[in-house]
Amino acid sequence: MHRKLPGRILALLALALLAGCATTPVQPWERARLARWDMRWDPDPAQAALSQHTYFSKEGSNGSVGAAGGGCGCN
Amino acid sequence: MTSRPSASLSALLAAAAALLPTLQTKAAATDDADTHASYRFSEYDEDSLAPASVIGDGQRYRVLSQQLDLDTRLASGTYGLKLDATHEVMSGSSPWYVLPNANGRPIQVLSGATIRDHRSALTAALTQNPGTSTNNTYSASYSVERDYRATALGAERSQALDQALTLGYGGSFSHDEINPTDAQAYHRIADATKNTASAFASLGWVLNRSEVLQAGIQLNLENGYLTDPYKLFSYGLSVTREQRPDRRVEAAGLLRYRRSFAQIDASLHLDYRYAQDSWGLHSHTLEAAWYQGFGDGWRVIPALRYYSQAAARFYAPFLIDPAGQRYYSSDYRLGTFGAFSTSINLRKAFGRWEFSLGAERYHSAHGLALDGSDAPVPALVSFTRVLAGLDFGFD
Repeated sequence: MHRKLPGRILALLALALLAGCATTPVQPWERARLARWDMRWDPDPAQAALSQHTYFSKEGSNGSVGAAGGGCGCN
Repeated sequence: MTSRPSASLSALLAAAAALLPTLQTKAAATDDADTHASYRFSEYDEDSLAPASVIGDGQRYRVLSQQLDLDTRLASGTYGLKLDATHEVMSGSSPWYVLPNANGRPIQVLSGATIRDHRSALTAALTQNPGTSTNNTYSASYSVERDYRATALGAERSQALDQALTLGYGGSFSHDEINPTDAQAYHRIADATKNTASAFASLGWVLNRSEVLQAGIQLNLENGYLTDPYKLFSYGLSVTREQRPDRRVEAAGLLRYRRSFAQIDASLHLDYRYAQDSWGLHSHTLEAAWYQGFGDGWRVIPALRYYSQAAARFYAPFLIDPAGQRYYSSDYRLGTFGAFSTSINLRKAFGRWEFSLGAERYHSAHGLALDGSDAPVPALVSFTRVLAGLDFGFD
């Protein structure tokens, strides 16, 4: 199972790289839409932190069993 | 004890927020100010388990969380300082171990004594040249509970490669100390430590005037006492402490996509994450959100989330014939399951104030998993969460 890991991660990155190659530069004066609040990766970081905290407490991937920075999920 | 995102993932998410600094200027009403304060309150309530399959107090966890954030500029904008203070109060009973009934079906035993605890955490992050195309952020956090302390340090860099590409990378280290309550009475380990080192990298692309994409990778290495000191396991004819490996390596890949529909004052958010670790556990997470503005400061944000997890190799509800198995855990969070979550948030801006209200319903079930073992997972959680928030900007 672990032998598949690098392949899957690399596939994700390759897909993203291909998408990047297909783009043409967007000039600063063309970025009005991208500058909107709702186009941020996390428009509400405080609420996102609360949500991530909840998921990582109740799911097995990354955090609920041995997170860095606080708590072992022992509940 | 409760858990929180790893420091590196938090750093990754924070870096993601800063990956397009030239794009993310004024948008929300409170962003016009030099200093931004936000308060969040949430109430988290888990459903009780069916009485027929439970021994013990069926009332599960309830968590009340309060979070206060302050984001300001120092030295004429050369530095950005973010402070986050969190306080949580937790109560309820939690899954303890699983017994087979006469038919071999699992019966979940819940902790007899109602848990009452609270957690306080403080995080500080200092960013050099915030809002510019290249910046560095240094962070420190401390979290304390009655039986758990964690100290973490992190550093990250966001760097524009050209007009379209932004690279982010960084790392973090955490040292955690565990001192379980009632250790002597319940034969728990008296004290233990664990260390976590993490590294991440991400690349953000401006695809065109309306679309952006980001890809990231994260590696975590955990060493030390990774077993849950409160959980037991039905091992043959006895009930003993669960046992997990003292090392865990996890890798995750992340894709995030944003598309603006400015003509109708809306945007689409799509996130996908794949994670896999050395315990054999792997997961898929897909999230979709729609940000819809209605003018006059109103905004509605419905969202869907799907999560699927395949069990760790040593997960089992119980072992009737253990045959010398070295590692074993019946923690439902290591089992096979899938989960659907639906949520909605409502926001309203009044000048420099912004109010928000939200609700989420999360349901998990063994049958919702994409793949994984058939071992039953009797303590899977479903919960309801409500949130309220207030943001304020000032000079």
